[in-house]
Amino acid sequence: MWRIALRNLRRNRRRTLLALAIVSLGCSLSLVVLGFVERSKALIQQTTVQQYGNIQIADRALFEGDSEGLGYLIGPEDQELLTRWVAQFPEVRGSTVQLGFSSLLTFRRRTATVRGLGVVPENPVLDYNGLVVGGRGLRSSDLGAVLVGQVLAEELGLRPGDFVNLTATTAAGALNVLPAEVVGIYRFSSAEVERSQVFVPLSLAQTLLNTRGVDRVVLGLRSLRQTWGTARKLDRGLPAQGFTLEARTWDVLSPFYRQLASFFDLLFGFLIAAVFVLVFFIVLQVLTLSFLERTREVGTLRALGTLGQEVFRLFLLEGAGLGLVGGLVGLLLGVAFSLAFNAAAIPWRPPGTVQAVTLGVDFTPLVFGVPLLVSLLSTVVSALLPAGQMARLSVVEALRTV
Amino acid sequence: MNGQGFCYARGDPVLQAQKVSKIYALGKEKVKALDEVDFLSTQGDFVVINGPSGSGKTTLLNLLALIDRPSQGEVLFEGKPTSKLSERDLAFLRRQRIGLVFQTFNLIPVLTAAENVEYPLLLLNLSRQEREQRVRSLLEEVGLDGLGRRRPDELSGGQRQRVAIARALVTQPRVVLADEPTANLDSTTGKQIMGLLQNLNGEHCVTFVVVTHDPAVPPYAQRVLDIRDGKIQGERYVADRPA
Repeated sequence: MWRIALRNLRRNRRRTLLALAIVSLGCSLSLVVLGFVERSKALIQQTTVQQYGNIQIADRALFEGDSEGLGYLIGPEDQELLTRWVAQFPEVRGSTVQLGFSSLLTFRRRTATVRGLGVVPENPVLDYNGLVVGGRGLRSSDLGAVLVGQVLAEELGLRPGDFVNLTATTAAGALNVLPAEVVGIYRFSSAEVERSQVFVPLSLAQTLLNTRGVDRVVLGLRSLRQTWGTARKLDRGLPAQGFTLEARTWDVLSPFYRQLASFFDLLFGFLIAAVFVLVFFIVLQVLTLSFLERTREVGTLRALGTLGQEVFRLFLLEGAGLGLVGGLVGLLLGVAFSLAFNAAAIPWRPPGTVQAVTLGVDFTPLVFGVPLLVSLLSTVVSALLPAGQMARLSVVEALRTV
Repeated sequence: MNGQGFCYARGDPVLQAQKVSKIYALGKEKVKALDEVDFLSTQGDFVVINGPSGSGKTTLLNLLALIDRPSQGEVLFEGKPTSKLSERDLAFLRRQRIGLVFQTFNLIPVLTAAENVEYPLLLLNLSRQEREQRVRSLLEEVGLDGLGRRRPDELSGGQRQRVAIARALVTQPRVVLADEPTANLDSTTGKQIMGLLQNLNGEHCVTFVVVTHDPAVPPYAQRVLDIRDGKIQGERYVADRPA
């Protein structure tokens, strides 16, 4: 059957070539766009994990932002128990603790509202020192030091070596002010983060809030793929360990990532649907013409004892053959175009970000699989209707056709 | 059996039509293409159904070939009624027990001569070795040795009809039905084809039923039925057949 199906494709070469060109074009376009989406999502994933770590463990009130006061803080004993417990997971590369706070940052007579984050300087999981572009990162020995984003530094005229005042409300509800030296300026992919986020040593944050607690434990994993499985395991294990805490993954913690990923998925979904419809109608027309020309031949096959369902399968195989050949050619074209595109290394600064990224196309199994599957599916679906009609033909009527 | 002539072994009935009628609707009118026709062929028969265009001979052949159903009456294959059989059962019967030869050869153009002959064997799920052996043997028997790799469009009309005859015989059917097998051939080639059918009938003892309006064909038969206006007008036995 395959032999007849594939040879039939060579019968009217011009028509088959037209169909193959459409399938290939659709497949290569899908590959390039999906590869681009995959690269973009990977870049965003990378920056999101840089910001949040793989998993954060904290009180639900902190995640939901529905707590008055600092009732969600994790005390020193629980911190130690928790840190020791998570270290037993083989997926966990390391953990660190953080303490977030809202603060006013004052430099000379100018004040900005910022979100402070107390971090353990020079910890191997997440210390943000890799983002520093001016001055230096936070050190373990630092007491009164702060890292500010470049946008905030430009707005307030801050430079490394300048002193600012940080004002925050303590755990007991009193106002507290501490001086801190701007030791470094960092850059991040988001201008909003650079404007509003400052990093201080954990000890400074705890002094400012007058607490020994932290608000979250951040986990670094050995692989990004382990994130969701590990989070599920943690969520199951936390109550058993006596904690009323939750584990949340980086993608859940970042609404920005979720929105962008949804947008990309929607965009790609529309493209795939458009390619599917285009290929469907053109291949439907090509196959209908091709099948109709062979009505008498179908009559012969049926007269020789071929079942209607075998005729149906023969025509479906033709559709599948068209999809497979067109899809494979499309993949080759798509890879060639993508390699050229990657070689061009076109820079682009996404809206709301401060650093340009290099546009590119990633090659993953998904990038090859989805376009090929869509090519196959669209051509097979196109073949369904005409194949069904041919399979139902009356043998005598079909043999009478000239 | 006689390698140079007819099969003289006589056996059980192979194909039988009992008072079969076929009525077609032509707009609001109904046309009776066949009117209570009776027919019987036994194993080894070589029957020609002879009649002019529109006499109902192809309609009768279609009913005997089990690719159409009668409006009235019954067609029996090997003594068993076929009217109650499903389309699937009829298809299986055709692929296993019936060979067909068409006026316009009806070869599959994308397949070679050998592949065309092999096609019915694929439907029977025979082994590759068995298929190759049967195809080679049949092509040799119909005089196409060495032409198996040619496509139908690379063969003459006579050669194409030989391929079609080999395809009809390759499943070792009980009966071969041929619809105007000489109509698209010149008279010399037509004679060669009929001679071939006559020899194959003798060689394989397969029943042959040939419908034709070609006056050169009936002399090759053992028995000739004349059909006109949907009715069998008469039956005669051929005394002197061509050598």
